[in-house]
Amino acid sequence: MLLTPNAMSPRLRWGLYSVTGLIALFLLLPIVFIVLLSFGSSQWLVFPPPGWTLKWYQQFFNNPEWMAAAFASLKVAVLTTIFAVALGLPTAFALVRGRFPGRDMLYGIFTLPMIVPLVIIAVAVYALFLKLGYTGTLFSFVVSHVIVALPFTIISIINSLKLFDQSIEDAAVICGASRIQAVFKVTFPGIRPGMVAGALFAFLVSWDEVVLSVMMASPNLQTLPVKMWTTLRQDLTPVIAVASTLLIALSVLVMFIAATLRRRNEARMPS
Amino acid sequence: MAGQVKMTAIASRQSKPVGGAPSTAGTAPAQVVTIKQTVVLSQRWKGSRNLFPALIFLGLFFFAPLIGLLLRGVLEPTPGLGNYEQLFANSAYARVLFNTFSVAGLVTLFSLLLGFPLAWAITLVPRGWGRWMLNIVLLSMWTSLLARTYSWLVLLQASGVINKTLMAMGIIDQPLEMVHNLTGVVIGMSYIMIPFIVLPLQATMAAIDPMVLQAGSICGASPWTNFFKVFLPLCRSGLFSGGLMVFVMSLGYYVTPALLGGAQDMMLPEFIVQQVQSFLNWGLASAAAALLIAITLVLFYFYLKLQPESPVGANNTR
Amino acid sequence: MSAVIKDVAQQPQTLVCLRNLNKHYGDFAAVDNISLDIQDGEFLTFLGSSGSGKSTTLSMLAGFETPSSGEILVSGKSLVNVPPHKRDIGMVFQRYSLFPHLSVRDNIAFPLAIRKLAAAERNKRVDAMLKLVQLDQFAHRRPSQLSGGQQQRVAIARALVYEPRILLMDEPLGALDKKLREDLQDELRQLHRRLGITIVYVTHDQEEAMRLSQRIAIFSHGKIVGLGSGYDLYQNPPNAFVASFLGNSNFLRLKAQGNAVATFEGQLLSIRLTAGLQTGQDTLLMIRPEKAQALSVEQAAAQPLQTGWNEVSAKVGEVLFLGESQTCAVLTQGGTAMTVKALSAAGMPLKTGEQVRVRWATADACVYTQWAESDLNKAAGAH
Repeated sequence: MLLTPNAMSPRLRWGLYSVTGLIALFLLLPIVFIVLLSFGSSQWLVFPPPGWTLKWYQQFFNNPEWMAAAFASLKVAVLTTIFAVALGLPTAFALVRGRFPGRDMLYGIFTLPMIVPLVIIAVAVYALFLKLGYTGTLFSFVVSHVIVALPFTIISIINSLKLFDQSIEDAAVICGASRIQAVFKVTFPGIRPGMVAGALFAFLVSWDEVVLSVMMASPNLQTLPVKMWTTLRQDLTPVIAVASTLLIALSVLVMFIAATLRRRNEARMPS
Repeated sequence: MAGQVKMTAIASRQSKPVGGAPSTAGTAPAQVVTIKQTVVLSQRWKGSRNLFPALIFLGLFFFAPLIGLLLRGVLEPTPGLGNYEQLFANSAYARVLFNTFSVAGLVTLFSLLLGFPLAWAITLVPRGWGRWMLNIVLLSMWTSLLARTYSWLVLLQASGVINKTLMAMGIIDQPLEMVHNLTGVVIGMSYIMIPFIVLPLQATMAAIDPMVLQAGSICGASPWTNFFKVFLPLCRSGLFSGGLMVFVMSLGYYVTPALLGGAQDMMLPEFIVQQVQSFLNWGLASAAAALLIAITLVLFYFYLKLQPESPVGANNTR
Repeated sequence: MSAVIKDVAQQPQTLVCLRNLNKHYGDFAAVDNISLDIQDGEFLTFLGSSGSGKSTTLSMLAGFETPSSGEILVSGKSLVNVPPHKRDIGMVFQRYSLFPHLSVRDNIAFPLAIRKLAAAERNKRVDAMLKLVQLDQFAHRRPSQLSGGQQQRVAIARALVYEPRILLMDEPLGALDKKLREDLQDELRQLHRRLGITIVYVTHDQEEAMRLSQRIAIFSHGKIVGLGSGYDLYQNPPNAFVASFLGNSNFLRLKAQGNAVATFEGQLLSIRLTAGLQTGQDTLLMIRPEKAQALSVEQAAAQPLQTGWNEVSAKVGEVLFLGESQTCAVLTQGGTAMTVKALSAAGMPLKTGEQVRVRWATADACVYTQWAESDLNKAAGAH
């Protein structure tokens, strides 16, 4: 009766609903607030804003530093996605298909970057690149982002691969395809949802990554979050709200794509 | 560890692999008289070659630097446990540890209190409103962390909307100080951690058979007793794993405390960065990092104990 | 049955030869020294419970498993070191295993595309296959838009389109409901007759095995324990395991008193002439329930026992009406449980607790001198 709304006492039910509504508003508040502020005309972020304007967007898009940062973010995120998927694919295959002992432990090792606090990974990788003289390079950004993106691609692909019946690949082999041909022609299309989800996760992780990027950044190369971070520490200009809104928009877009893909995938595999 | 929760939200739902008898390969000892040993060995390690690219990558860029960092704690500036002694002996550093744990504890408490009703409501109404609630949770989780933290910075500042609203309502006379101190950190982090409570807890609640609760009430339990004696114990695993995860994540969070917190009330992650970037004191930073990793891994071990299922599954049979 | 007799008369050639085939996983022998000849054009079924080694043997034929030792010869050439995609064997899998991202047509065309056949020839063959399995109208659908039976037909078409000499089928109908399964079994039998292809079929369903195949190989614990036509295996099981595995059976424990006489619970019975029986030797008698008759005391008195028949007294435990047939469970004086089955039309006017006389012809009862207790257990057969 505590899990069937109709059997609940009305007082409890409405109490729960109103509390939940407030919490949901609490969750939405900063997101909506920042989007609204990016259109507000007040330099001092007064709310409600005295008027509406697009001038902060103009400032953002006309500022070469912000644009460079946005472009760098995109470049790093795309490269991270490519490498994370390229490394994650064979790993997922080995973990799901392999018959060797200790697969659970290996899975743990591969997901460790998800568990170890980011700050520690950042400091450790920073120390390495400092020694090698690589800080502030595209290479250092991509490598550090791949470390934290890799568990996401591995887990996504594993989930998808576990659901993919291996006998479909075997069927391709018995039909005359070599194992490699079968994997490319049959298995990859079959686990595409997992591969795409993994790629999206890797992209989002890199796109939104702050801690590692702040440590890797140099004046000549910084991603959007780094630019936001350094600007934030000086003042709270509404241009940051614009950058935030763009980050939010991209996250929502990627979430939407992922949800659409999942729905299509579920429709395609009736169980 | 946030990742696992973040992913269940979007990735296709995990379901059991179909069919297949349990594999006998791999578990059986490799001692067969009639077969050449090499055959058995290659069978035993079948498919493990594919692990090498990622293993080499992580080895070079993750494990090696991590071990290197941890070693510096006992090697720099002089070999020995001096850094650790300093970490526990110095009262300023002890203060950092105290801050870290109390903030993590408070954040866990608040996010549990706020996450529980949300998870409950989503379980009660899985479609319509509940679906929207879930979408809001997912949206907030996947929205840029920096953007949300910035938003809280603006909301909570002395001239911010919240202070203004409270003053306009006559509740307070002068602005509350809610940023650049631990209050701001706790508010911002509790907000960020709510989704990490809601999702595992909601999964646990959805798995509870409503008939059990009906049985409870038929047996004569009042709604009050039913809640505390039946419902809450059934949610316990979700509450524990969610709470534990939030606690561990809070210990290692850097962005939100660095932006919403003050210079005096530092937490462990900020302390590590400060030691590295401002004081170049790698030894002390490393000792602090080792401490943080140790706590994280121990707690994560308990977290895993609460998740019985094997992540890779045994779907390798033919 | 006539097909079987004809085939045997023609002395067909051996196509596939399994020689001392073994498959071990560590200490565990999944396939234990199997030798078997498969005739060109025959429909052979591997029958056994799960874990009996039948699927592993099929996998070795397909090339997905490498034998630990032994040989697989096709037309005299060894297949052991040929990778599965070069074996030119067709296979239909348990869960259809169609390519979910391809249309029905592209699924069937897949083996031809891999073999780089010219487009015109490819289309011609695919069209012919679509017609053969009656799926012309569904050519552009995705597998997920088909019913289970249609999906299975696509799988069969895909396995046949490149004209392999051997078709392997691994419990292909297991996922379908009973009615559909029977329809497809009939289709499959006709297909086999029309194409003359060699089919090796794996199932755990004995009725399916009987319905489809010319010969059945019964697997247990990695060994073939019975090989022959369904008729022979049922009527004259080579051992007690096959007897209890196929259909229902009554087992009586006897003590031999010569080559053709034995005692059962102290009573003398005639048994089939069995060479080498020693007096006092433990012997097992197997009688199919439908070969036994249960007569009330009055009926028995009215019909004297014919020569070549045996009779024991028993008490009726339970009479069950099953539609076309009836069964009667009885208990002999010595406490041996037996089941007697008769067509309902014949009638069995018996009641629980009544005395009955159970009769059977000596020629219908099989005699075994060696057996394991677990053989008499219906469910035994898996590891």
